[in-house]
Amino acid sequence: MRILIIEDDLEAAEAMRRGMTEAGYDCSHAADGELGLEAARAGEFDVLIVDRMMPKRDGVSVVETLRREGDATPVLFLSALGEIDDRVVGLKAGADDYLVKPYAFPELMARVEALSRRRETGAVSTTLKVGDLEMNLLTREVHRSGTEVDLQPREFQLLEFLMRHAGQSVTRTMLLEKVWEYHFDPQTNVIDVHISRLRSKIDKGFDRAMLQTVRGAGYRLDP
Amino acid sequence: MRMPRLFRTTTFRLTLLFLALFAAAAAAFLGYIYVATAGEVSRRADNEIVREMNSLEATYRQGGVNGLNTAIIERSAGDRPFVYLLMDATGKKISGTIPGSPIDETGSGENWTRFTLTDTDSDGAELRHPARGLQKRLYGGELLFVGADTGESEAFVVGIARALWGAGALIIILGLAGGVLVSRNVARQMQGLTEAVEAVRGGDLRTRIAVRGVRDEYDELAEGLNDMLDRLEQSMGGLRHAGDAIAHDLRSPLTRLRARLEAGLIEVENGKGDPVQALEQALVDADNVLTTFNAVLAIARLQAAGRAPDPKPFDPGSLATDIAELYEAVCEDKGLDFKIELTPRLTINGAREILAQALANVLDNAIKYTPPGGAVMLRVRRRSSGEVEFSVTDTGPGVPEEDRARVVQRFVRLENSRSEPGSGLGLSLVAAVAEAHGGRLELSEGPGVIDGFGPGLRVAIVLPRPE
Repeated sequence: MRILIIEDDLEAAEAMRRGMTEAGYDCSHAADGELGLEAARAGEFDVLIVDRMMPKRDGVSVVETLRREGDATPVLFLSALGEIDDRVVGLKAGADDYLVKPYAFPELMARVEALSRRRETGAVSTTLKVGDLEMNLLTREVHRSGTEVDLQPREFQLLEFLMRHAGQSVTRTMLLEKVWEYHFDPQTNVIDVHISRLRSKIDKGFDRAMLQTVRGAGYRLDP
Repeated sequence: MRMPRLFRTTTFRLTLLFLALFAAAAAAFLGYIYVATAGEVSRRADNEIVREMNSLEATYRQGGVNGLNTAIIERSAGDRPFVYLLMDATGKKISGTIPGSPIDETGSGENWTRFTLTDTDSDGAELRHPARGLQKRLYGGELLFVGADTGESEAFVVGIARALWGAGALIIILGLAGGVLVSRNVARQMQGLTEAVEAVRGGDLRTRIAVRGVRDEYDELAEGLNDMLDRLEQSMGGLRHAGDAIAHDLRSPLTRLRARLEAGLIEVENGKGDPVQALEQALVDADNVLTTFNAVLAIARLQAAGRAPDPKPFDPGSLATDIAELYEAVCEDKGLDFKIELTPRLTINGAREILAQALANVLDNAIKYTPPGGAVMLRVRRRSSGEVEFSVTDTGPGVPEEDRARVVQRFVRLENSRSEPGSGLGLSLVAAVAEAHGGRLELSEGPGVIDGFGPGLRVAIVLPRPE
């Protein structure tokens, strides 16, 4: 997977590049908005990581320009500004996700992975299938190995998100943002409670657990 | 050379401009009056002369030179204001009241002239009067001159002219004086504003502009500026306070982090400590600093802004339902009985996201401090005062009355809560959110001691009656 990092903080960019190379990604770096825009136009990338505030051309302008030119490469926005308005501005400009600095590296990785995967699922299907777990999006029924699993509406949404990102780590913050649509950090780990409920419904009674806890990162649904 | 301050004011310059315009208008007006009156006077005098000339000409046509001569002699004796002179074709005097014609021209038509009449008064002094005359050649070849003393009418015209000049001068003097007065008045009022602005620029935010209480546009401006200064002072104060608070609040966790890193380094150097464990611990510490920082910043921002960001009307019941859905499972997990009670169809005007966070903090506290087997209740209702309150009641140990005001302050954690994780900023943030919405945070006793539980705590976010 090819990733372009557009970030003027060289140290942060280098740390990011090292971590991602370690994880097996092919990383390029551009040190300001202009260079970043050129690189993004020239190369084929799977995900762009764009810093919000940069010299010459800021991140919002880079993303806006690319989108205007018809480039639909997934963009993860990085920003030191965490205000709600600011996030809205970033997403309106055409970014696909938004991460506030400083971030934990697993959080960044999980989001980049989620973005890169989003591109592959182009076709709209009415059923999701991960291993022996099946979800019908129309009837809102879930079966594992043919046995029906009874889920509350929110549990259904939570499982749907996990199934769409099967095999990837998803963080608690991601779940809170994408499933509950809250952008603050609850002090207690409420997400853990909801995950363990879901786990008891889809894994209990089966010899293999699908919903895994990833240490230091979050959760992963394995086929 | 610098002009006096007064003359540099915009008002004075405007006054001058208006004065110039007004003077031009007055000049045109007075000029018209002059032309109309003075012209009329001389035209009337000329008409009199023409009429006399026509009358004499009629006499001439009937009685010839002799008849005319007789008429002139008769008229000269009477009380007529005219002078006459009848001459033969060569210009020699036949009869009349003046020795010779002031007109040398002896053409065939009519000739007008201005001349001077000399007279002697009773004392023998010579009097000179301005006069006007008409000379005409009669069809028999004789020349007839009729003149009239215009002294009186010219004096009248001169009088008018003098009056008009006087009026013009008066207009300019009054205009200038008025301009000076108005400018001085405006300048005085502006000076108050200028001084206040200077003082604020010099850093004194407590300066206020005097309001005279006459409710004119200056008062309105002064009140507007004073209002702006109030807000500015408030938000500057908020920012300064926030800056101090952030510095203070971050110093201690950063100091802890630094100490831990240092101790870890020494241990690892001595071969005693595990470097991975030291780094992991440092990471946890750094995250804690970050959490504290975010909370302090959020509180400071709310306090500095003094209002909720981007408020919109929404149903508080739906917000409570959403948050309850998030925490209900947590309660169940911990063995707490959770209940929610809502008054439907209420509306409040606020920032949903930060209110959600505040409510989450309150629920979080309730769940954290209530032992298993207890109960937590979330309620949304309208008070009889019209205020809308979110309240969370638990059956935990509660907070003694004397400590309730204190726990809202930043970083205050009661002795028996230290074993629980928490930044000590939760309730401060809730209070800041409530205050930003123009509301308040209220702490009171819960349901009391029942079956070994209690007395419990009731935390209410009270928001003002929606407009």
